[in-house]
Amino acid sequence: MTETIKMKLIYPRWKKLPGQTTFNLPPHGPVAYAATLPEYVDIDFVDENVEELNFDDPCDIVALSTMLSTQVKRAWEIADEYHRRGKTVLAGGISAMLHAEEFVKHVDSLFLGESEGRSEQALIDWKEGKLKKVYNFMGKQPPIESVGPCRRDLYKRDLYNHKGVQMVDLFHASRGCRFSCYPCAVSYLGGRKFRPRPIDKVVEDMAAIDNNRLFIVDNSLAQDKEWEKELFRAIAPLKKKWISHTIEDDPEVLDLAAKAGAWYVYQAVYDTSDYIKERVRRYHDNGIGVEGTILLGLDNQTVDDCKRLIDFLGEIDLDLAEFTIMTPFPHTKAYDDYLRQGRIFDFDWDHYNAGQVVFKPAQMTPDELQGVYEYAWQSFYASETQESKMFRLFCNVALREMNEGTYRPRNRALANKSFGKEVDRTVKTHQNAF
Amino acid sequence: MKVSPKYYDEQFPFLGEWDMESLCGLKIREADGRTYVIVTELYQENPGTSVTYAGEKLLQQICDAKKLNPAAVTYIECNPDTNSKLSFYDEEYFKVDFNADQQHRYRRLESEDVKKILSQCGE
Repeated sequence: MTETIKMKLIYPRWKKLPGQTTFNLPPHGPVAYAATLPEYVDIDFVDENVEELNFDDPCDIVALSTMLSTQVKRAWEIADEYHRRGKTVLAGGISAMLHAEEFVKHVDSLFLGESEGRSEQALIDWKEGKLKKVYNFMGKQPPIESVGPCRRDLYKRDLYNHKGVQMVDLFHASRGCRFSCYPCAVSYLGGRKFRPRPIDKVVEDMAAIDNNRLFIVDNSLAQDKEWEKELFRAIAPLKKKWISHTIEDDPEVLDLAAKAGAWYVYQAVYDTSDYIKERVRRYHDNGIGVEGTILLGLDNQTVDDCKRLIDFLGEIDLDLAEFTIMTPFPHTKAYDDYLRQGRIFDFDWDHYNAGQVVFKPAQMTPDELQGVYEYAWQSFYASETQESKMFRLFCNVALREMNEGTYRPRNRALANKSFGKEVDRTVKTHQNAF
Repeated sequence: MKVSPKYYDEQFPFLGEWDMESLCGLKIREADGRTYVIVTELYQENPGTSVTYAGEKLLQQICDAKKLNPAAVTYIECNPDTNSKLSFYDEEYFKVDFNADQQHRYRRLESEDVKKILSQCGE
């Protein structure tokens, strides 16, 4: 029998953006990786965003899983501390791949690519004293059929709970992307080919999740219309409610999505056209909410253009809006362009949070872009707070669930907790708010 | 977003970041004792690393494959026009000097400059 290996699997913390409502969702990457490990690995998962990391906890080996650029420096700090304690540190994940050249200097072994069917080799090599510096599977994706259910049993569920309301579970129905969008690195990470998971696997996986609310994190579901329709028909009986990125702009697809439980979608709002207005209306006509995603600082935008775009949002009845500053993440076309043009002035990855300007915009100063970003958040949420708008979306889904008999009342035992911490019930008044 | 073949004579396979299989468009021209190497980003046809990210590693692989002396090469990166409505997919050329610091490594060439180079090469 193979000896048990005790692994500390860590999802490093990052600094949340100021002024925005903080929600901590159970991370997907670490539990997707954990599912590919052999049974003899005893995993202790720590998400630093909701709990303290205790370096003294016993373990044989450490694995770091990172998604965001803003996690990598913290990951390196953690690796350095474990090295001081004589532990071997492995790493992988989206931002480990994006920042691989630097990452590899901080860890004993870096895993690049998708881990299905491949994660055990590093452990075997480690036990034999032959651990490689890099396990490189970039561009060599495993069969999509090998992607199985994530190890969601590793979550400490109570920590992903806000005042008794369970946060959505992240789920993926496909990998890869056939689009090459300007600010996006997904095609570099997951391949330029859309790789849908077999529908029966998706259904089986989704059905087993102990949560009626999901976030289907696929880059875009609008990549293969027939698969998309088949997916929606297949998941409808599960009566889950879900958030996703863009859905195909097709009456039949939107109707099927609504019947399959589409709660709200993230839709890019990039201009003030009637097309965008109609796109949002068509979602709403199908009972699907819309969170607009607005990217500020593109080369064709002036300050006035940005403000016109922000004003336009008031005309299209968005349920929520999320503003981000254009950020040239490595392995995107934006990064290549700005690098060639000598426009990136900040390479501190902690600042690559999409809320801070790290490059010289083409038609405004960095300070002007920063100002437009602040203005956007303040202006959109001036008449109703983000939390209040979110609450309305939440009520919509709760009502739908009640009608379908799937509503789960909030957990009253956690009513005074928010992501593991006590809720501050102090009522703010003008006198004590400042 | 397919790149027109007018931008290249051949598609050149190369090993990108972490040896990822990658592909670029390639044109090589000679004029006045210099060799002009024009690499074109193929976007969706390129399964791996972009030509910009690959940088000097790509130049070296081209020189090895074509038996060129890197010191005698003028290296030009091309962002081809993809007929996209998005301005950042317009045609652009950059002359690259890998010996220069990051701020001065890329010099944007006007279309006229590129036409002049190609006409010197008999096009």
